[in-house]
Amino acid sequence: MKLGTKLTLFNTISKLVIVVLFVLLLPVLIHNINRNYTDSWLRGQQEKVLKQVQLSGIDTYIKNGEGYGSYNALLKEEYVSMDVDSTSEEIDTIVNERRLVEGDTIQYRILSHNFKIGKQNYLLEIGKSIDTINETTVPLQSIAFEILLGMVLLTILADQFYSTYILRPLNKIIRTKLIGQKFPLRTPYRKVRTTTSDFEHLDISIHKMIQTIESTFQKEREFISNASHELMTPISILQSKIENMFGSEDITDEVKERLLELQRILNRLKSITKTLLLISQIENEQFLKEDKVSVAELLNEVHDEISIRLQQRNIHCEISIPGDWELQGVNKFLLFNLVFNLVNNAIKYNKEGGSITITGYIDNKSRVIEIADTGIGINGEQLPHIFNRFKKFSKSLQQDSFGLGLPIVKSIADFHHILIEVSSEEGTGSSFKLVFPPEMSKNQ
Amino acid sequence: MNVLIVEDEKALTEEMELFLHSNNYICETCYNGTTASERISTNLYDFILIDLGLPDYDGLDLLKEAKKYNPEAACIILTARAEVDDRIKGLDLGADDYLPKPFSLLELQSRMQAITRRKFGLKNSVMMLGEFAIDLTNRTISHGTSQVSSITRKEFDLVAYMLLHKNRTLTRSQLSEHIWGSIVNDDYDSNYIDAHIKNIRKKLNAFGPPDWLETVRGLGYRININN
Repeated sequence: MKLGTKLTLFNTISKLVIVVLFVLLLPVLIHNINRNYTDSWLRGQQEKVLKQVQLSGIDTYIKNGEGYGSYNALLKEEYVSMDVDSTSEEIDTIVNERRLVEGDTIQYRILSHNFKIGKQNYLLEIGKSIDTINETTVPLQSIAFEILLGMVLLTILADQFYSTYILRPLNKIIRTKLIGQKFPLRTPYRKVRTTTSDFEHLDISIHKMIQTIESTFQKEREFISNASHELMTPISILQSKIENMFGSEDITDEVKERLLELQRILNRLKSITKTLLLISQIENEQFLKEDKVSVAELLNEVHDEISIRLQQRNIHCEISIPGDWELQGVNKFLLFNLVFNLVNNAIKYNKEGGSITITGYIDNKSRVIEIADTGIGINGEQLPHIFNRFKKFSKSLQQDSFGLGLPIVKSIADFHHILIEVSSEEGTGSSFKLVFPPEMSKNQ
Repeated sequence: MNVLIVEDEKALTEEMELFLHSNNYICETCYNGTTASERISTNLYDFILIDLGLPDYDGLDLLKEAKKYNPEAACIILTARAEVDDRIKGLDLGADDYLPKPFSLLELQSRMQAITRRKFGLKNSVMMLGEFAIDLTNRTISHGTSQVSSITRKEFDLVAYMLLHKNRTLTRSQLSEHIWGSIVNDDYDSNYIDAHIKNIRKKLNAFGPPDWLETVRGLGYRININN
C-alpha cells in the first residue's frame, strides 16, 4: 500500500474512532450537563420562592394547613408545591420521582427542601419533568454527529491533498534517481526540490550512493581498459618475435611446430584481451551511433563471413527479412559483431546437419529479428547466466571459446538499447530475439 | 623503400626492423618523438610508421609534421590505445592506414603493399602462379582466357595474402587473423582455414592443377613461386 494511502487511511480511522466515541459518550455528557443545569435551576427557583414567601408571608400560600400547588396548566412540565411538614428532620434533596398530577403519572426531577417559619416546618417541592430535560438530547446527538462527520471528511480531504503534496518529492526521487538509473550516468545531479529535510537527506544519500557505485563502475572499466591496453604492447612484441622466428630459414620444423603452439596460446590471450577491450570501449560509449544499415545487407555480410562455418558443420541457414528494413542511429561495426556472434553461437551449439532460421517480423509495433537454432539448447538453470563474462558451461561443444561471445552481444545490444529475449529448450534449440527500439526504425 | 619506424618499445621496433629488412625495406628507427620530429623534417621516407603512445610526443602531432615535411610518405598509425577517437582523428589527419596493436608483421607488410599499390601504382599487378594469373588490382584469378568466377572474396583474400608472402609458410592463425581479424568473437582456434583452402583447391582444379599451393604438414600453407 502506498505511503500516502496509508497515512490517509490511518487518519480516517483514528478520526472516525474519536468521533464515534464522542457521539456515543454524548448522551451521558448531555444528561450530566442537563442535570447539573436543572439542579442549579431548581436551586434558583427555590431561592425565588423562599424570597417570595418571606415577602408575602407564608399565609398567602398556606391557609388552614392546606398545601399550595401550582403547575403549568396543560403540559405539566414544572410544578411548585408547599405544605406543612410534620417531620422535624431537615430535608434538602434533589431526586427523580414520579408524581401523579391530574391523573398523569409523570417522572420529575424534584427538589425537596424544608424550612421553618415560626415554629412550623414547611416542605417545599419544585419539580421539572424529566422528558423536558431530555428532549434536547437526541437532536443534539444527531446534529453533533453530522457536523463532526462533515468535519472529519473535510480533514480527510485536506490530509489527502497535503500528504500527496508533501510526498511528491519522494515520488520524484524514486522516479528520477532510482528507477531507470543507468551507468555511466549521463545526466548531472539535480537536486529534488523539497522543503522536507528528510527527503533532502534521502536525496543526498541516494546521490552519494550512486556516486559510489558510479565510481566503482568507472574504476572497473578503467582498469579493464588500461589493463587491456597495457597487455597489447607485450603481446605485440611476443607475436612479432614468434613470427620472425617462424619465418627464418635456420629453424627446424620441430621447433616451428612448438612455435605454432606458442602462437596459438598467444592468440588466445590476444582474443581475450581484444574482446575485453572492446566491451570496455562499448561500455565507455566510445563508439558513435551514426550509421544507417540495411538489415538484409548486414545479414548477408554476416552470412558471407560465416558461410564456411555453416558448410563445415553442414548447417542450413534460412534468412527471411523484409528487404526494405533499415536501421538508423546504429554503429555498423558493432551491429555486425552482435549478429555475427549470435549466428556463430547458433552454429557452434548446433547439431551436425542442423538448421538456423533468421526471421524478421513486427511484434507489438517493434521490429524483431529472431535467430533460432536446432542445437543443444540451454537449460533453465544456466539461462540467467549466459550473458556473464567468462561463464562457460560444461555442455558447450569441444569448440575452443572462452565465454565472451554473449557478453559482447549483450554490451552491444545495451549500447543500442536493443532488447534481447532468449528462450531455449534443452536438446531442441535456442532462440534469440532482438527487439529494436522504435526510434531506430523511423524512416527519415 | 625507406621506412621510418617511430616506436618507443625497443623490442618491438627491433622485430619490425628485422622483418621489414628481410623484405627489402630500408629501415630507420626512433625511440622517441623528438628524434623522430628531427628526422622527419630532414630526411625523406616512403613509409612512416608512428606509434601514438610515445612518452614525449603526441603521435598525432608527429603525423601533422610528417604530412608537412614528407607529403609523399605513406603514414601508418600503430597504437595499443585503440581508442575509436584516435582512429578517426588519425585518418582525418591524413594517415593512410591504422593498425591496432597487437598486429601481425605479415599484416603490416600487407597493408604497406596495399598502400604502395594504391599510392604509387604497382606496375605489374598481375602475377603468374603456374597456369593461373592472379590480378591483384581487379581481384580476379584466371586460367588462360577463362576467369575462375566461383572464387569468393574471402578465398581471393587468402590467395593474395599467401602470394604476398610467397615462399613463406603461413600458419592457420596468421591466415585467420588476416581474413577475420576485424571480427571480435570468442573463437581463438579454428580449422575454418582448412575448409577454405579445400574449396580453393577444388575450384581451381576444375581449370588446372594448383600445385603451387602447398600444405606444410603440421604448420600451415605456402605458395611456392620461383622467380
